[in-house]
Amino acid sequence: MSDTQWPRFELFLQDRDGRPHTNVGTVHAPDAEMALLNGRDVYVRRPNCISLWAAPSAAIYAKTAEELAEDDSWQNELPPANAPERAWYVFQKQSQRNAMIYVAHTGEVQARSAVEALQKAIAAYDDPEKPTWVWWVCPAEAITRSSKEDIDSMFLPARHKPYKHPQAYRTVTAMRKIKAE
Amino acid sequence: MNEETKTALANKLLAWADDELILGHRDSEWTGHAPILEEDIAFANIAQDEIGHAILWYSMRQELTGETPDELVYFREARAYRNVQFVELPKGDWAVSMLRQYLFDTAEMILLTNLQGSAYTPIAEAAAKMRPEEIYHFRHTSAWMKRLGLGTAESNRRTQAALDYLWRYALQLFVPLPDEAVLVDAGIVPDTAVLLQEWRSKVIPFLQDAGLTIPDNDTPKLTDRSQHTEHLVDLLGEMQMVARLDPQAEW
Repeated sequence: MSDTQWPRFELFLQDRDGRPHTNVGTVHAPDAEMALLNGRDVYVRRPNCISLWAAPSAAIYAKTAEELAEDDSWQNELPPANAPERAWYVFQKQSQRNAMIYVAHTGEVQARSAVEALQKAIAAYDDPEKPTWVWWVCPAEAITRSSKEDIDSMFLPARHKPYKHPQAYRTVTAMRKIKAE
Repeated sequence: MNEETKTALANKLLAWADDELILGHRDSEWTGHAPILEEDIAFANIAQDEIGHAILWYSMRQELTGETPDELVYFREARAYRNVQFVELPKGDWAVSMLRQYLFDTAEMILLTNLQGSAYTPIAEAAAKMRPEEIYHFRHTSAWMKRLGLGTAESNRRTQAALDYLWRYALQLFVPLPDEAVLVDAGIVPDTAVLLQEWRSKVIPFLQDAGLTIPDNDTPKLTDRSQHTEHLVDLLGEMQMVARLDPQAEW
């Protein structure tokens, strides 16, 4: 059976200035603009977001620490002849404390292919003191970003929507009363 | 504020609130049924925003009349509702719901932009709070309209059919209430003729660029907000059922 779903996009959220964009999950979308909008609706339910990026999952080259340790044959693939050098964003997962924290944006390299980008990323950003569990590289130009002007309409309205916790409905006390009667 | 202005303002707030509530409820009918999960969540967000706007307008009206939002929402009959028929029509297919939301969002964004300068401070403040949400709705529904209009032959055909069906209903949004002039004179609300002109200058070129033809009949389908279809009766039956089972229940 063929996959009739729309392509997948990875979403990266920045919660405040000076913090990296962190992968929060995936959406399906017909194109990058809709991916950014869908990403907002699915992942930005709280006001702590100032910037959102969407990247096609197909544009991301990824390796886990296990994959790197098992097999280094991926390094044999040479960049195509005459491939231009371009900017690649580097993302790393360096913590296992919280399963909900995925890769975070840590830097940028110039490379002619995904393989070269990952090689340069490892050379520049690998830290033996702080092991990297997952590496992602993605061409910078493949990323669609929200702008500063979008903050007011895309993210701030969540401030006016206090989250109502289940206990706010007082169902437990109501049930106790009903049972006692 | 004199009694005449106060009554006119209460009527206007009720019309705005009822439009938002009924549209929000119709939108919520897609929850669990939208074409894809992401859009299910997005459209539910929009529905919640519109119902939130309704609460703001009902609450503001409560300051004038004492009637609570719950009384108005759960214990009023269809004939006492003052929404336009445009928002009570069944949700139809995706093109109908998305086009209706686009036409409404554009109207609301223009209204709220104008209301930020209202001489009645609570309205100006509420408008400033709601407007960013409408800007986002507008962006979302505009993005969909382009894709539906310019997508496939079928999506274009369905969207054109939705436009032919909804156009004159939408125009009722710009029919002034019978006692509205006193509010315009007092600088509390903008003249609906101004809003209509702004709305037309925005939606007509946009929809044309999306490959759609604007119907050539510019007469609003109705002018009286007390006239409703049987669809509103059905909608209220469902919306009010639980509250009416136990009117004294605490929520």
